[in-house]
Amino acid sequence: MKEKSSLSVFLNGIIKENPVLVLVLGTCPTLATTTTVNGAFGMGIAALVVLICSNIFISLFRKIIPETMRIPCYIVIIAGFVTMVKMLVQAFLPDLYATLGVYLDLITVNCIILGRAEMFASKNTVVSSALDGIGMGIGFTLALTVMATVREVLGAASFAGIAIPFMESFKIEFMTKAPGGLLVYGLLIALIHVVTHGKAPVKASFSCEGCIHSATCVSGACKREGVES
Amino acid sequence: MKNSIKNLTVFVCICTVITVLLAITNSITAPIIEKNQNASVNAALLEVMPEGKDFEEVDLTEYELPATVAEVFRETEGQGYVAKLVTAGYGSDMVVMCGVNADGVVTGAVCTASNETLGKEKTYGEGFTGKNADEVDAVDTIAGATKTTEAYKNAVKDALNTAIILGGGSVDIRTEEEILADNLNAALPEGEGSFEKWFMVEQLDSVDAVYAAENGAGYVFVTGEQFVGVKADGTVVTDGVTAPESFAGFVATIQASVLEDIDLSVYPDLEATVVSAKKTASGSYVLETKGAGYGIKGGDEYHPASNEYIRVRVSVTPDFKIIDCLTVSEAETDGLGDACADESFYGQFAGKSEADYTEIDAISGATLTTNGYIQAIERAFAAIKVLNGGAQ
Repeated sequence: MKEKSSLSVFLNGIIKENPVLVLVLGTCPTLATTTTVNGAFGMGIAALVVLICSNIFISLFRKIIPETMRIPCYIVIIAGFVTMVKMLVQAFLPDLYATLGVYLDLITVNCIILGRAEMFASKNTVVSSALDGIGMGIGFTLALTVMATVREVLGAASFAGIAIPFMESFKIEFMTKAPGGLLVYGLLIALIHVVTHGKAPVKASFSCEGCIHSATCVSGACKREGVES
Repeated sequence: MKNSIKNLTVFVCICTVITVLLAITNSITAPIIEKNQNASVNAALLEVMPEGKDFEEVDLTEYELPATVAEVFRETEGQGYVAKLVTAGYGSDMVVMCGVNADGVVTGAVCTASNETLGKEKTYGEGFTGKNADEVDAVDTIAGATKTTEAYKNAVKDALNTAIILGGGSVDIRTEEEILADNLNAALPEGEGSFEKWFMVEQLDSVDAVYAAENGAGYVFVTGEQFVGVKADGTVVTDGVTAPESFAGFVATIQASVLEDIDLSVYPDLEATVVSAKKTASGSYVLETKGAGYGIKGGDEYHPASNEYIRVRVSVTPDFKIIDCLTVSEAETDGLGDACADESFYGQFAGKSEADYTEIDAISGATLTTNGYIQAIERAFAAIKVLNGGAQ
């Protein structure tokens, strides 16, 4: 992978390779925690912290982590940081802890974090990895917050728990349910596509080479099956 | 092999580093988390004792407390106690938090959970604030939920008693059965403490219940709050009874009541609904009828395939007034419908007439069973009409 400038590494995650809306990673927490803006924002920040820490840690040890043992190593590191974040949230933000519930633990298996470990941190310098973590984390948080804003305003007539009186009569409860989440998700993906003129998913830059399955995948399988244009 | 050892070493090292980091985080956060949790318990306690500062849980093992008391917290500055009470029975299981200050006055009561979605019991506790033990009974009942009200009041009384006991005092915390046994024994010592409730087949004016001494020494009549002991020969044992001769008359009525079996084979229409029928000398009927097991929903028997019926024994005067009612057997759901075998439920029918026998408190959470039970009573009334018609 060619070296990118620090700024482009950082900005990559926000729109061009937004983990949720372009890479379509971390769908489960995205759908689950975007019913309220507070929950979504909290989830985003928690994932951001874990992402930065695990990216730095993995990048730091990338030379000594053995190739064959890398997944268990990543999982231990990620799970460790998730547990630390969980303890900190429980201690200092008990309300958020109650809102996020089990999804906080599930950050461990959030594919964004494992994905970035595999795709980026294991191959890049500590500084780049940290920037990638920040960028991806902000991208995740932004995507979640935007999605939650749409869902909470339309579905519950409130924003971040503050009621919007004139919306009260126009609540669409569907939006707070799973189908509403998928609808908003789809529309946001389409929006990103339009905004970036369809150029956002620069597939070559993260397909086979960057794909989290690349290690186990027969190289070029995607191409053969015509997945890649 | 060499590679494996190297891999393993790296993995163990990473695990160790992570473990150390976790241990450090835990040492920082654990005390704060514990403090937060205590604060949330305190917040719940403060709701019923707003002037409290801090609370500590009381070890209850050395005290003999009412059965409803689950947990007790002491206000550390001696302002009083908060008791967590779990009421049971008659399908109105509730968790009530009740604060009592040092003067024995309720500082607040709130129902935090009940076996149904919290309805009126959610806010009912507010009425107890500022009341002492003598004033609790006077608090208005919840309309249509007499049993819930009663359970709530008893819970509040238990909290008040708990505060007295923990403060070093003593109160009567005997169960209702024990209190009843004591009252019966005091009214008729000749009964030697062994009594059985008599199923009333005759109308006895202003008598709520009759207990017969198992040794045949006599009877105890319960009228309102009074227990009147009467020997088998009609001598009233209890002092200060107005109109003792009426009780002598009741004994004579009971002894003279002969139940005459009615041959049901003459009435094929009743075969499906009536188990047995008897008639007394005064013309009252004593019937055992069947109500739909598992209840009635939308007018249909909910579980028609089942042979498990609710069997009800009911005595009815010739002018269709229920004298007494008793559940003989039932196979309803444990913890819900089986409350129809509690006296607190079937006792409600005594004194009702054909016009108002449906106006009873339903078993909460078991409307279908309640409907099935009412069907059994309805069938008794219907059967009496058939029997009367047949006799004419």
